[in-house]
Parts: sequence; structure tokens; C-alpha cells
Amino acid sequence: MNNIPSEEDIHAYVDGRLDDTRRQAVEVYLAQHPQRAEEVRAWQRDAQELRAALGSWMPEADNPSLDPSALRAQRRQTWRARQAIAAMLVLSIGLGGVGGWQAHGVRQASREAPMSDAMQAYRMFAQQRGAMLDVTEQHDGDLQIWLDNHFHRAPQLPNLQAAGFHPVGGRLLALSEGAAAMVLYENAQGNAISFYIRPPSKVAALPRGQRQEGTLMAVYGPSDGYNVAMVSRADEYDADVARKALPTAI
Amino acid sequence: MHVGKRHVLCNPSKIGRFRLMTPRDTMTHDIDQSLREWLPRLRRFALWLTRDASTADDLVQSTIERALSRWSTRHDDSALRAWLFAILYRQFLDTKRRSKRYAAMLDHFRGGRDPSGAHGHAVNDNATYPSVEREVMAQSVLQSLAQLPTEQRALLLWISVEGLSYREVAEILDVPIGTVMSRLSRARQALRRASEGEVAPPSLRLVK
Repeated sequence: MNNIPSEEDIHAYVDGRLDDTRRQAVEVYLAQHPQRAEEVRAWQRDAQELRAALGSWMPEADNPSLDPSALRAQRRQTWRARQAIAAMLVLSIGLGGVGGWQAHGVRQASREAPMSDAMQAYRMFAQQRGAMLDVTEQHDGDLQIWLDNHFHRAPQLPNLQAAGFHPVGGRLLALSEGAAAMVLYENAQGNAISFYIRPPSKVAALPRGQRQEGTLMAVYGPSDGYNVAMVSRADEYDADVARKALPTAI
Repeated sequence: MHVGKRHVLCNPSKIGRFRLMTPRDTMTHDIDQSLREWLPRLRRFALWLTRDASTADDLVQSTIERALSRWSTRHDDSALRAWLFAILYRQFLDTKRRSKRYAAMLDHFRGGRDPSGAHGHAVNDNATYPSVEREVMAQSVLQSLAQLPTEQRALLLWISVEGLSYREVAEILDVPIGTVMSRLSRARQALRRASEGEVAPPSLRLVK
């Protein structure tokens, strides 16, 4: 070999990664440089010892906390929990009157835009569905019991079965005035209608009425010490169902 | 389609009681399977890098978590092996950096110090290794390896045990191949010196 082997050649020789031609060339070089050869052969012995010591070492047993599928599922749960907390924070901070959050599109409930919180809740939770619910209607009446547990003298939840909507689940929300709740109904097409209840605002009394905002329609009014609303898509059929449901809640 | 009180809320592929595997399911299944295949080797590397069994598995766990969350950033042509080892190694360095008392803490838990006091690293006193490793550790090359600085130990493990190419190591360390070669020379020299420093037979070094 006319050239001095490079550092990479030497290491590749130690690691047995050279083809025959280059390996022989390195050996010729080493034969002419005994001190270097001694070091390189010592490196070779060390490398082989290391490989022999550990090359076939494998963990004794599987560690289930390392399983990718399990970690993936945990990640999803954590993500959902964070989303839920973030959503709750946005709602509660926005409606608590902290002006800075208005930039996030959460408008304060006001005379000009009543029940924007009900619509916001619908947007956030009706569209994310199952991941966000605190309680589900496993058996008939579960949701009413849940509502009664959280709201003193809670109104009766409307029954939308005749219109094809079935109660799915509920979610508690935090407002500065106190707890609010949303109960979600769904029909076979996956369309949602929500029932929304919250303590009355200290700022403005809620008149009975309805309001459209974008693709959503809300009907609302005071009811037995609370303010309630039904929110639906602004579709004619759905809005009609919501409108008709309100008198039963009030 | 009305399927009773439990409503289909999220997954459009659910039909009746039967759940079809969506293309997305197949993809995540394949990804999980690939990662699973690398677990034993990641655990081996982590163990001999950190010299602590529970730290090693914690490191592998956070590696898998990161791999899952960053999967979409992977270039298809980059080797999964190098990518995973890179995540693991950087996690290890981050942990070390964050906890300046890491080495002191490790020494404290082990309750042992290098008898020669020469390197300031705790020679393994068998406290944190499972029993099988203790037998393996009786081999002096591993005791010498344990005395090396982290990066040198990592280099030798990658090259001699895990069989990574020099290019893969360069990718992991984000340095040119030439730099890998000179660091490898220093690592091999250091291993040699540590082995030559083993004047007593290994059995006298083991803390009973």
C-alpha cells in the first residue's frame, strides 16, 4: 500500500469492516510499523472482548411500561385531558370578564350576545364528542341524576326522543358565577343539540329569546333560578326541535 | 344507525358491533411493531450507558414517547436505528444537564466510589444491576468501560456492541465522520489505559 491508512481505515480494520484488499494493505502497513501495530491489535482485542461480553446480552424480561401501544394510548389520554383543561380555561376565563381572552374569540356574555357561552360550549364539546364528557347516559335517567347532583332543584332535562335525539353525555364547566353544565343529545346522523344551564349573570338579566350565530342557533330563557339554553345547528329541523324543547325546561 | 345507549361518537368505521381496521389503525400498528423490535437493543444500550437499570428503562420509555410524538418528522430514508439511538442519547444528555447532581446522586445511591479514586466515577458496586449483569460485569473490559466518560462509552457501545456504521454515529452526534474517527481513537486509547490500570484481578474489586 502506497498510502498511509487513514484513521477511518484503522478503525474499520479493528472492527472488521474492510474488504480483503484494503485489509491486506493495512496489514502490510502495520507489519512495517510495529508500535502502531501493537496499539491497533490491542484495540482489536478490546473490541472483541466488548462484543463478546455484551453482544448477546438481552433484557431478562419485557417491561410492559415500555410497550409502544400502551404509551400511545397514554399519550392520547394526556392529550385529551390537556385539551379539556384548556377548553375549560378558555371558557371560564373568557366569561369571567378577563378582557385579554377576547382575542381568542370567546366573547363575554352580554346584552348584545346572550348565551355566547352556551354556543361556545357547543362548539368546543359537541364537535369533539366522546373524549370530553364527564358522564354518559349508560342507563335511562343517569344524566338527570348527575344534573340533580350538581344543581340544586335542577330543571328537568328535555326529552328529544320523538325527534330522534338521544342523550349522550354531560360536561361540567366553570364560570365565574358558579358551575354551568352542558348535556349533549345526538341523532342517528351524528347531529348534536345541547342543553345548557348556568347560574344567572350578575350583570344582565337574561330575557327569553333566540339568536343565531354563524351555523348555530340558541334559544334561551330564565328557568327557576337558572338560565338555560338549547343550542343546535341553525338547520330548520334541528332549530325547531330545540325551540320546542325549551318550554319543557322552563 | 342506532346502536343502543352507547353511541358511536368518534370512529366512523364502527359498524354495529364490529370494528374494521382503518388504514390508520394498520399504520399505527406497524409503527408500534417496529418500535417494539428495537426495545431490547435500546434497553441494552441504555443500561450500559447509564449503568443503572431503572434509569435505563425510564430513558427508553421517554425515548419511545418522543419517537411516537415525532414520528411524522422522520425522513423515510433515515435509518430507524440511528434515529432511535439519537433520541435516546439526546434525552440522556438533557437529563444529565438538567440535573447537575446526577452523578453525585448516582454515587450516593450506590454507596460506592472508585476504590482507586483515579477517575471520580463510581465503579459499579453491584447495587443497581440485576444479578445477571453482576456476573457479566466480572469481566474486566466492562469495568474499564464503566470508568470512561459518557460519550466515549456511548461510542464504543455503538460501534462494538450495536454495530452501527460510522456514518450512523456521525448522524447521532451531528458531527463529521472525521470527528467521529478521532473521538473513537481517544475512546479506544482510554479503554486501553483503563484496562491497563486494572492491576488487581477483578474479584478483588467487587464490593461484597
